[in-house]
Amino acid sequence: MSLLQEEREIILNNEYVDTFDFAEVSEFVKNASKDLFISHHFKNKAKDKMLVQPRGGFPTYKKQFALYEFFVDANVDVLPLTIDSNTRLNDYATSSKMLRLSEANDVDMLNGYPLVNHGYRTTRKMITHFNKPVSLRHGTPDARLLIETAIASGIFEIEGGPITYLLPYSKNFPLDKAFLYWKYVERVCANYSELNEPINRESFGPLTATLVPPAITIIIQLLEMLLSLEEGVKSFSVSFAQNGSMNQDIVTGAVLKKMAKHYAEEIGCGDAMINLVYHQWMGAFPTNRDYAEQLINISTVIAKMVGADKIITKTREEAVGIPTKEANAKTVANTQYTLNILNGLPTIVDEEEEEILTLEVKAIMEAVFNDPADTLWRKVFNCIKNGIIDVPFSPHIINHNEMITIRDAQKNIRIIKRGNVPIPDRCYEYEKAQCDLTKDTTSIVNDIIHDIGIMQ
Amino acid sequence: MKVVTGVVGNDIHVVANRLIDLSLRARGFEVFNLGVNTYLEEFFDAVVETGAEILLISSLNGEAEGWGREVKALKAKYKHLDNLTMMIGGNLVVGSGNAEDIVPRYKNYGFDLVCHQVDLNTGLDSLEVFLEERNKQ
Repeated sequence: MSLLQEEREIILNNEYVDTFDFAEVSEFVKNASKDLFISHHFKNKAKDKMLVQPRGGFPTYKKQFALYEFFVDANVDVLPLTIDSNTRLNDYATSSKMLRLSEANDVDMLNGYPLVNHGYRTTRKMITHFNKPVSLRHGTPDARLLIETAIASGIFEIEGGPITYLLPYSKNFPLDKAFLYWKYVERVCANYSELNEPINRESFGPLTATLVPPAITIIIQLLEMLLSLEEGVKSFSVSFAQNGSMNQDIVTGAVLKKMAKHYAEEIGCGDAMINLVYHQWMGAFPTNRDYAEQLINISTVIAKMVGADKIITKTREEAVGIPTKEANAKTVANTQYTLNILNGLPTIVDEEEEEILTLEVKAIMEAVFNDPADTLWRKVFNCIKNGIIDVPFSPHIINHNEMITIRDAQKNIRIIKRGNVPIPDRCYEYEKAQCDLTKDTTSIVNDIIHDIGIMQ
Repeated sequence: MKVVTGVVGNDIHVVANRLIDLSLRARGFEVFNLGVNTYLEEFFDAVVETGAEILLISSLNGEAEGWGREVKALKAKYKHLDNLTMMIGGNLVVGSGNAEDIVPRYKNYGFDLVCHQVDLNTGLDSLEVFLEERNKQ
């Protein structure tokens, strides 16, 4: 028996799992409908068709089923399954208790669907009933059991990664452990991918959604992509979120696409399919629901300018709390409508900005590859530890927090203090030259506060 | 002057914490930032370890009151903390409440300065005024 299989048996021999039948699950994946695989849709969709995917998860089977019915009526392309916070922290005892309370009292006691507690036999009935691709949305550093349960249920897109699901969400979960747990996830996804269409992996580009400069977003997307492809994953989505300037989003999308292709080929994985995903605004939303809808609409336009393969939507209730199924479905219908009427868009290329961003990305990537460690994950680990990779506003103790960013007059995010991140001098001077840095520090802090809340 | 700061309890809201850190440095303080998700013992341990004169606790998720109640009892277990300036700020209750009720309650818990939903720079101005007054005495 391989070491991986031994580990899988340990993981699945869990008091919250009702006997995991490995052979039956493999048979299921092998014969599963192609429609369940988002990779199949990416491959066969019209070139400019953008798949629309909302967010959403309710504790009970009944409510999740009802949510999916609303989404299907609204012409959804990809269904979400958002997981509750206890399951994300592997606390299945609490999620089990809260699920029972939710079922008994008809009040939602969880902020998502406790997939491990429902189990794959039950969940699979719902997934195969709707016969649409489902995307797993969570935030789990140790997602081994969750991913096994998801794939056995017919969920063939897995979001996350060791960096993007840790640095924005945790203060002290050990980063080296996260890399190893995610290596397991990549291998399991790669192995199942050989049976039918590929399982798609997606990275979480928005990170902290707070003044993250494009260079940092891109290198983390590239590194999680490489960590996934080197384990044998054949379909991967890089992603990022609207950042406040249309031009900067278009430049980010162009450089991300080019660099993803370049580095995938560099490690001999040029055959893998790389997709681009765009998140509607992930920062603080306006409480005014009508303004929220306007913001969502602008996001959709930018996604089209960027040329995304998939868009992930927000709702008019974002600032208020967990959205109702009605509000959630409404966004899907509105986004599809906007996409249908957006025709004849111009192509915008900003060569100077693309050149600066490409130089920054290449310099940081080179610094990562030059780390003396023996494997890629250890190189990345060391680079986060020594601040070569620095994510603004990460709560994690390993993150340096030395980099400082603000917006220029066009609302582009600019690096005004690079910390230990090897931004080349020429690029650094260019970034700073776009901003007014003659002010005192207190005024700059006030500008940062304003820059974070620009959409409110 | 040395300041220990951080977000109390199971609260992961990091943005304001970073801004407090930056603003304090801009005003010339030496900052020891414990970050989010910090327990009361960790705050007091850090004050002892660094010899800080100010402890600035922040909270956004509204759970600070549960922790605030423990402050006096816990502080009493440490020696030489009598001259420590204690400040708390952020969103200090779950749901809505008004500052007239909240401020005296927190002062009673042992805080010298209480800022409920006060703008960051206003809060830090009040800290500087407080320190000036105290140094005069």
